[in-house]
Amino acid sequence: MKTAIKYFKVWWMMSRNSFMQMFAQRFGAIFLLIGKVLRFIFYLSFIYFLLKGTETLAGYNINQTIFFFLTFSLVDVVSQFFFREVYRFRPMIVTGSFDLVLAKPISPLFRSLMGGADILDLITIPPLIIAVYLIGSSLHPSGVETVYFLLLFVNGLLIATAFHIAVISLGIITLEIDHTVMIYRDLTSLGRFPVDIYREPLRGFLTFLVPVGIMMTLPAKALMGLVNLQAVVLSFTLSFVLIFLSLKFWNFALTKYSSASS
Amino acid sequence: MRKYLNVFKISFAQEFAYRLNFIMWRVRNVLQILVLFFLWTTVFSDQGRVIFGYDKAKILTYVFGVLIVRALVFSARAVDVAGEISKGDLTILLLKPINYFRYWLTRDFSSKVLNLGFAVVEIAILFPLLKPAIFLQTNGYSLLGFAISLTIAVLLFFTILMATNFVTFWAPQVGWGAQFFVIVVMSDFLAGSLFPLDILPAVVQKVLLFTPFPYLIFFPIQVYLGKLTGMAMWSGIAISLFWLAVLSILTNKIWRRGLLVYRAEGR
Repeated sequence: MKTAIKYFKVWWMMSRNSFMQMFAQRFGAIFLLIGKVLRFIFYLSFIYFLLKGTETLAGYNINQTIFFFLTFSLVDVVSQFFFREVYRFRPMIVTGSFDLVLAKPISPLFRSLMGGADILDLITIPPLIIAVYLIGSSLHPSGVETVYFLLLFVNGLLIATAFHIAVISLGIITLEIDHTVMIYRDLTSLGRFPVDIYREPLRGFLTFLVPVGIMMTLPAKALMGLVNLQAVVLSFTLSFVLIFLSLKFWNFALTKYSSASS
Repeated sequence: MRKYLNVFKISFAQEFAYRLNFIMWRVRNVLQILVLFFLWTTVFSDQGRVIFGYDKAKILTYVFGVLIVRALVFSARAVDVAGEISKGDLTILLLKPINYFRYWLTRDFSSKVLNLGFAVVEIAILFPLLKPAIFLQTNGYSLLGFAISLTIAVLLFFTILMATNFVTFWAPQVGWGAQFFVIVVMSDFLAGSLFPLDILPAVVQKVLLFTPFPYLIFFPIQVYLGKLTGMAMWSGIAISLFWLAVLSILTNKIWRRGLLVYRAEGR
């Protein structure tokens, strides 16, 4: 418990610093925020008008399709909020200033992964939660379905965590992060729509290899009563395996850190 | 002319200096197209279905048209202009006997040639894999209109991009935010990269068609598909020409005023 409080304090301090940095470039940040909100509205409008014309998409009605999109957005934005530091990790490795992180009495993985929350996402998360609640309620889920949704949402974040750990680990070895993160984001963006729309073998790829389906589609399906307990357990098993493997990879990557340029 | 040819050659060679960067950008484009392809294939799973005035062949032609037209219109090296101004690197070019706008337009062309080449290769790979139903335009009149509207789109995007970059003369920290807002969000969505704009309500479409954005992607593809012919096609070309003229004058004015406040910080 004492350790958890210590880490929370460190996270709070680092997030505050991150906010200060953002505030120094506030006009650029305002453009970015407006852009993010507009992009979300454009996507939502697209889905709305598309489904107005087609009535269903892969068998899902308008509210269900919007709910898939909202679930994707929530998993995406929450993971962006927590793991924004990953986007700033490369300079630390290239310049060798990662040495300073290794020398501090906190986990270097924690510092590299969560060393500064994205305040802009903090602004967009609450309205997104409200939208998820409102559209989710219109699907009339049972208590069990809601619990499954929440569990699978957390599971989606665990898988996102595993991927981010893998990305920074790869970054230590190859010095390449920016593109790997963007490819990861592009792949997860396939989860804006239910993975049912994709044809095999892409659907299998998105379900098992890069489990976008489990991260984004499965929580939404759970709320619609389309997922059983067995699937929930299997999903958690997969995410724990991914977390385990990514941690192994991180430990391996640390042994390859050369401290170049420091 | 010869110096711009050399700029073209050097810029083309520079693209290969950051190969991974370029390949990743193309991979991202392909992924976006895959999402749209599968989305519309699902919507048009019933072969005879016609929605928003599109049948399956026309909508999939739209999707692949976006891949080609985006490669031509949106690929640009001039995205670096904002950084150049804020870091003070602009000074180097100001001292050279070269027209700043022509310099960046030439660099943009080199990027477009490379991107177009890759887009053609990507289509050559995706076609046998996805086997999409495609509409091939054979009407010379529509093809001519497509070529004209595409040329205007390339120049229109250049003026929008330059005007956006020039914000950094007054606010050096705002460059990236302005680019994200105008180029990534506004231009991409309102141009019709994600979806054909005619799925929107008629009122919204009418309003959008009075802005420059639909003339970047949506309008050229509509002309190619033969959905806009005769007066509709020529009036669209006239509006896009009007925007090109207005934005060119505006961009020039912003540039001149910007130079007056430019302080070459960082140099």
